[in-house]
Amino acid sequence: MRNKKRKGVESLKARDGLMFITPWIIGIVLFYLLPLIQSIVYSFSDVLLTADGMKISLTGISHYKYIITEHPDYTNMLTESLVSMVYQLPLIVILSMILAIMLNRDFRGRVFFRGLYFLPVIIATGIAMELIFKTTTTDISSSAPEAVAGSLFTTTDIMNFLNLPTGIADYVSNIVNNIFNLVWSCGIQIILFISGLQSIPGSLYEASHIEGATKWEQFWFVTFPMLGRITLLVVIFTMVELFTDTRNELMRHVSTLMKGGVYDQSSAMLWFYFLIVGGVIGIIMLLYNFKILKKWE
Amino acid sequence: MNFSRIKESASSLRRTSGKKKATYAAGLLFNIFCYIILITIGYIVLYPLIYTIVTSIRTPESYLDPTRHWIPTSVYLGHYKRAIEYMEFGKSILNTVRYEMVSALLEVASCAVAAYGFARFNFKFKNIFMVILFLTILVPSPMIIIPLVTNFSHLDVLGIFGLLNKLTGIDLRLNLMGTGFTYWIPSFLGVGLRSGILIYIYIQFFKALPRELEEAAWIDGAGSFRTFLSIAVPSSGVVIITVTVFSLVWHWNDYFIASMYTVGESTLATAAAELPEIIKAHGEYGSAVTSGTLLAGTILYIVPLLIVYLFLQRGFIESVDRVGITG
Repeated sequence: MRNKKRKGVESLKARDGLMFITPWIIGIVLFYLLPLIQSIVYSFSDVLLTADGMKISLTGISHYKYIITEHPDYTNMLTESLVSMVYQLPLIVILSMILAIMLNRDFRGRVFFRGLYFLPVIIATGIAMELIFKTTTTDISSSAPEAVAGSLFTTTDIMNFLNLPTGIADYVSNIVNNIFNLVWSCGIQIILFISGLQSIPGSLYEASHIEGATKWEQFWFVTFPMLGRITLLVVIFTMVELFTDTRNELMRHVSTLMKGGVYDQSSAMLWFYFLIVGGVIGIIMLLYNFKILKKWE
Repeated sequence: MNFSRIKESASSLRRTSGKKKATYAAGLLFNIFCYIILITIGYIVLYPLIYTIVTSIRTPESYLDPTRHWIPTSVYLGHYKRAIEYMEFGKSILNTVRYEMVSALLEVASCAVAAYGFARFNFKFKNIFMVILFLTILVPSPMIIIPLVTNFSHLDVLGIFGLLNKLTGIDLRLNLMGTGFTYWIPSFLGVGLRSGILIYIYIQFFKALPRELEEAAWIDGAGSFRTFLSIAVPSSGVVIITVTVFSLVWHWNDYFIASMYTVGESTLATAAAELPEIIKAHGEYGSAVTSGTLLAGTILYIVPLLIVYLFLQRGFIESVDRVGITG
């Protein structure tokens, strides 16, 4: 007891803290870090499946070279995945932010609407959504195209009427065609945003109200800046989500390769893909931290 | 002079009341605008679901009929019968509960323990561990799934058993593939499906929890673990509900990992992994019977989740306000 006292409460607490996370550390080493390194090794070597596990022989970057220069589909699938990520990400983030702000207000039927908008959280993360959308869209396109958004006239008509440049027109009609998909991808993001909105201290709004700020100014000068960190989290979460989306053509290809036992090439495909996405996430985080640092100086 | 001042103040009063009216009108307009947006997008959320339900009870003949109505005139249950048969529904739901749900609950507990350690204590290399934790959120599970599968088929502790095998020929390496342990062990250690984000949510909550009670218990002689169990856990009902919903939903919907763990092991297949079997049994998308059966299967698959959600919904919707994820 005396010995403990001399060491001080702090070191005791440090020991207890380690006790709390020891299982996690064991798990991380065995089921995360080790497989992570193994999968990097696989991507740089030839993997042969044998009766007694597998034979691994290093071959350097040959798989990377192959998938980038020779593989017939890889670069196409890669660009397709990245492009769809680029155009979906801002839409999902902005849409879920707007919906979260609306759902966070005090209004009649709030519980009902929240229950409704949280529904995608339950269903949309899985294979169920993929099947629903695939069947619904193939059905609709084969029977009645007008029924897609329940609209009376098609988006192409509107685009022609407005006479927009084709790039923008394509973008907009793409959004309309994927509107179900986009809205259904917003579930968890809405929850994260609502939770972030709730953690903004009410005193800020009171102070700004006394200073004579309008609701609009409050949004831009209180809500928006205070949501910065949660927005970063949402962006990262959405990117990872889109990355592993089962509707993603590249992911599907990789998973069939994996099930077929082609471990080396599929690892290389995944790692190259992840390097790009992870690089982008890293840059975003660096920029964000840089901005914060500037603010504090 | 006096009179003019009164007049002035009166007019300014009138002006402010006019301004109030204007802001009131603007507020009303804004409310209406919000309702319109919420209802429109709510329709978009509900549409695929209603469509799914309606199509799953339509007869194949009326499915192809272009003059069909939204509300089907008769209820046809053939799709459900076929879906149950192809998915081996009873068995696959049981598997889902046994493997995925159990590991979901294990994860709720183990992540809380790890997160408490991170939130409340300072220890050596804490920053390194935090970076690794962030890495687990960032690097998606498909990146590590192959080595995981191969490791599980020859379970080894840091290569010791493998070395023993080479030297003496005694093979102590267990093959865990095809057992529930592939799901349970990682979840028990807090490194299961998306555990990174769950731990992160817990950490945020525990950090915001007032320390005083725990410190009082600590001074009264309770050990850290006791403090955690009898003080911290009872006051974190809010975050536990949120994490439980997330964990249950993610595990229930987990397709990628489940399908990797059950390659060639159809006795283990969970509901999510069985769902695409319908397409295999029936052929491509687009035909009336395939669509109907597939959508019926989907409904069967999400109904248990919806029931759970209905029970937890009230608490979940309220808990979102109070979890306090701040990024």
